[in-house]
Amino acid sequence: MMQKRGRDLLQRWEHNPIITYDDVPLQNNTVFNGTPVKFGDEYLLLLRVEGQQGYSFFCLARSEDGLHFNVDDQPCMLPTEDGPFALWEENGLEDPRITFIDGWYYIMYTAVSGYGHRIALARTNDFENFERIVMVSGPGNKDGVLFPEKIDGYYARLDRPIGNGVGSIWISYSPDLKNWGRSELIISPRARYWDSSRVGASVPPIRTEYGWLEIYHGFKMTSTGPIYRIGTVMLDSDNPAKVIGRCLNPVLSPREEYERIGDVRNVVFASGAIVEDDGEVKIYYGAADTSICVATAHIDELIESCFEKTELMSEDFCKTTCPYRRI
Amino acid sequence: MYRIAHKTGQDVIKRCKYNPLITIDDLPFECSDIWNAGVVRLHNQYLLLLTVETLEGSGCIYLARSADGYGFLVEPEPFMTASREEPFARYETFGIFDPRITKIGSKYFITYLAESEYGRRTGLACTDDFQTIDRMQFISEPDTKSACLFARTFEGCYAMLERPSAGDSIWISYSDDLIHWGSSKVVITPRGGYWDSNRVGAAGPPIEIEQGWLLVYYGEKDTSAGPLIRLGAAILDRDDPSCVLGRSNIPILAPRERYERIGDVGNIVFSCGAILEEAGQLKVYYGASDSCICLGIATVDEVVQICRENRE
Repeated sequence: MMQKRGRDLLQRWEHNPIITYDDVPLQNNTVFNGTPVKFGDEYLLLLRVEGQQGYSFFCLARSEDGLHFNVDDQPCMLPTEDGPFALWEENGLEDPRITFIDGWYYIMYTAVSGYGHRIALARTNDFENFERIVMVSGPGNKDGVLFPEKIDGYYARLDRPIGNGVGSIWISYSPDLKNWGRSELIISPRARYWDSSRVGASVPPIRTEYGWLEIYHGFKMTSTGPIYRIGTVMLDSDNPAKVIGRCLNPVLSPREEYERIGDVRNVVFASGAIVEDDGEVKIYYGAADTSICVATAHIDELIESCFEKTELMSEDFCKTTCPYRRI
Repeated sequence: MYRIAHKTGQDVIKRCKYNPLITIDDLPFECSDIWNAGVVRLHNQYLLLLTVETLEGSGCIYLARSADGYGFLVEPEPFMTASREEPFARYETFGIFDPRITKIGSKYFITYLAESEYGRRTGLACTDDFQTIDRMQFISEPDTKSACLFARTFEGCYAMLERPSAGDSIWISYSDDLIHWGSSKVVITPRGGYWDSNRVGAAGPPIEIEQGWLLVYYGEKDTSAGPLIRLGAAILDRDDPSCVLGRSNIPILAPRERYERIGDVGNIVFSCGAILEEAGQLKVYYGASDSCICLGIATVDEVVQICRENRE
C-alpha cells in the first residue's frame, strides 16, 4: 500500500494527496494542515481551508478508514465577527490541532489579525458546536499544541514564539487553560542540520513508554525559500521540558510532486496523528500548502528515530536507558 | 483630530538643572555605560536600580541611594547580576536590563529584561528591603520587553503591561498568582504619522492618580540614522486599565540636550520609572543616550492636560 521513496522513515500512502481543493464542496483556494481525531466510528479531520479571499477557516472531513474522506459542505468554524475574539481573528483561523482531555476535544489554533498571530483555544464535544474559550498567547506566537494529560496537575502546551529572531519550541503550563507561565525552551534550530532555521511543534504530544513523542516541523532556509520537513523529539514523561532524544534525520522531506509544487512549495507540515491499536501511526500533513496527505510509520520506528543521535546522551545512557538505537 | 501646534523645545517635562544626575564617572567601579533606571521611594530615601553595561558588554543592575532625589550614591557591588543558576541562567547569558519597581502590599516587585541567545523575556524578582532579592519566575515567553506591574489588583487579578516584539505595541496581561499570565489585550499601538509611529512601550509602572492610571510610555520613530526615542503619556481607566482614556499627541520629553543626543546610542530619552510627589509633581528618572541617568520634572496636571487633548 505504502510507497517507499528516498530515505524517509514515513511511508506515503500511494493515493496521496487524500484531500485537494477539488474535494472541498465550497469555493476555496487551497486546503491544508488538517488535524485528525477518532470520534465514534469515524475519523474526523478538521481542515484548514483557505478561501479565495485569502483568509482561512475550518471545515470537517469524515472518513471510515482514515484514508478516504468526504468534506462537509459548510465550514464548521469561521472567523467570528462579534465578541472579544473578533479583533484577533480578523484575518483568519489557521492550523488547528485537536487534543482530547476529560470529555472535551480542545482545538488549539492560530488566530490571525493585524495585531499578529496568536494562539487561541476552542472546544467541542460533538463536533457540531464549537465554543471559543480563551486566547492563550500574546502576539507573535503560533503552533500551539496541548498535551493530552496534565503534568503535575497543570495543563501543558508546546508553542513556537520567536526569540532573538529565531523560532523555537517552548513549553508553558497552566492551572486553568487561561493563564500560562513557567515557560521554558525545549528545542531550537540546529546549525548544519535540516532544521537549522526554525522549529515548531506540529502534532500534539503522544505518550509512549519512553516519554512524550513530539512530531515537529523544522525548516532550512535556501536562496529560493524554506524547505519544511518533519522530525521527532522525545521529551521526559515526568518533566516534558527535558529533551531525552531528538532525531538526526527528518522523518519526512518534500519529494513528491504534490509536496514540491503548490502555493508554498517544498513544504510537508504535520498537524496531527492517529495511533492505531497495532502501533501504526497515521500522520496527516499538509503538502505545499495546497493539499492534505497521509504517511505512516510504526510507533516503535518513530520512538527509535528520536534516539538515533547520541549527542544528547552518554554512551551509558544509550546502553542502559535507550532500547532503540539505530546504527 | 487636528494636531496642536507646540513650541519647539517647550516639552512638558522640564529638565533638572543638575542633569545628568549620574554618569559613569560617578560610579565607584569601571563599566562601559549606564542605561536606564527604575525608581522607588523607601524610608525617606530615593532608590534607583541602574542598568549598567559592563566592560565585557553584559548587563547588570546596581543600586543607588539618595536623600533628596537629586544626588545619588551608587553602591560599589551589583544589586543583581545575570544568574548562574538554572533555571534562570540559560535565559540571562547576555545580561539583565531595565528594572522597573512596583510596590504591591509590603513587597517590592522588580520586572526586568533577561536577554540570551534565545531572546528577550521578562523576569520577575521581589524584595522586602533591597538587601536581598528573590528571583521568582520568568513571566513571558520571548520576545517581550518593557514589562511593568500595576500596583494593585483588578477584581483580584494582578495586571502587567508589556511590549511583545510582534506588533511593537503595549499589551496588558492578567494573573491570579503572578506566575501564570493570560487574557492578553492590546492597549496602545504605534500611530503612523506621529512621533511614536514605529514602536511603543511602557516607560515605568503606571501611577494611580485621580483621573485613572497615568502611564508614561516611550515611542520610537525610525529615521535613516536609527530610532528617535521620546517619552509620551497616556491615561488608562482606573478600573479597566486596558481602556485608554487619553493619549498625548505630542511627546512630553524629546532628546534635545547634548547628553541626550550624544552617547553610545544617541537620540534616546527612556524611562523605567517615576515618583509622584505629594505636591502633584512628577519626577521622571530617565536614561539619556544609553549613557547617563537624568531627571525630568512635570506637574501631573500638565501631563493629564496633554493626554486629554487627544481622547481616544
